[in-house]
Amino acid sequence: MTMNNSSREQGRNRLIDELTEDLTPVRAFNPRDGVALVAGALALTVSGIAAIAGLRAGLGTTMPSPYFLIANLLLLGVGLAAATAVVAMAGPRVGNRHDAPKWALAMAAVLPLAALASLAGQGHVESDMMHDAAGWRCMAYGTVDGLLAATAMVLWLRRGAPVSPERAGWWTGIAAGGLGSAAYGMHCPVDTLAHLGIFHMLPVLIAGIAGRIAIPPLLRW
Amino acid sequence: MIADEQTLSRLMAASQRGDKRAYSVLLDEAGKWLTRYYRRRIAPDQLDDLVQDVLVSLHRKRASYDPTRPFLPWLAAIARYRWVDHLRRAYRNQEQAIDTEEPSEPGDQDAVLARISLERLMENLPPAQADAIELVKIEGCSIREASERSGQSESLVKVNIHRGLKKLAALIEKAE
Repeated sequence: MTMNNSSREQGRNRLIDELTEDLTPVRAFNPRDGVALVAGALALTVSGIAAIAGLRAGLGTTMPSPYFLIANLLLLGVGLAAATAVVAMAGPRVGNRHDAPKWALAMAAVLPLAALASLAGQGHVESDMMHDAAGWRCMAYGTVDGLLAATAMVLWLRRGAPVSPERAGWWTGIAAGGLGSAAYGMHCPVDTLAHLGIFHMLPVLIAGIAGRIAIPPLLRW
Repeated sequence: MIADEQTLSRLMAASQRGDKRAYSVLLDEAGKWLTRYYRRRIAPDQLDDLVQDVLVSLHRKRASYDPTRPFLPWLAAIARYRWVDHLRRAYRNQEQAIDTEEPSEPGDQDAVLARISLERLMENLPPAQADAIELVKIEGCSIREASERSGQSESLVKVNIHRGLKKLAALIEKAE
């Protein structure tokens, strides 16, 4: 028993010596670095959209419609709340809470619910949705435009030590969907409640599910 | 005696800057702390392997420590993550005695340590799930033995282990 303890101690001491020998300076975790990385990805995405598709007419010179403002601010709010949670998840700590995105999501859910209720009141939910070609395009581009932000967040998480890979996958996807769709909203000229409430919100759901499925295997350590 | 929180935080910050002396002391202290942290939550013959696993994780993930925050909650999050991971992998059929010796360190009742302890994590599980995990994954009972001792059917023991481990994995950072 004593020999066992002694050999265990020796094994641990040997490991400590090896790890000490291997030590090199590292840049300590700073959430600001993560925020800057995501902000950079978002800025690049908006620049890309402006360069390739162009920004919507009158943006910055005329007062946009209330629906445009509400939808895009909600998307931005969801995206930023989830992205902030993702940044924090790279630095684990017992006592961390990541509840902000839940509240942001609950608030943003009002818009699609209002859109569906409005269409249902008019009695043509299905036909309006199926024939809105611009809507499906916005949904696709909004989702794809979150890829750069998603990549930045995955790289950030892989540098850190996320201890809840599944939750990190959800929040990364939701953040990417929110930010990507808000970015594409700078191009989309359609301002109706149905269009914004459904097709600009769907990327959050789609990217969230994709993130939950695809990201955890990339984060386990 | 294990170094206090402030000392450990200072040692870790120095280690991130590449101070090998500080790092060697930190790893030694972290090893002692982890041994105490895991005691009675893992079969004794696996304790040292798990502690060494966490030390390697600490080394690989040392950049993820924020030097403006306390050290032990960060180490505890890594320790919990590795512990749940270990429970998922470890499936022992032979009975193993658990060290019943009480921890000798006086700081065991410390409020901060209590918040980040494994006991606190297990308290979040329904009793049936905690019992199933305790018996099979920690004490090393077979499913049949666990079924007899807990009064749960064998299939229920398996379901409770699966659900309990899933829940533990989702609660790694939970303090209360």
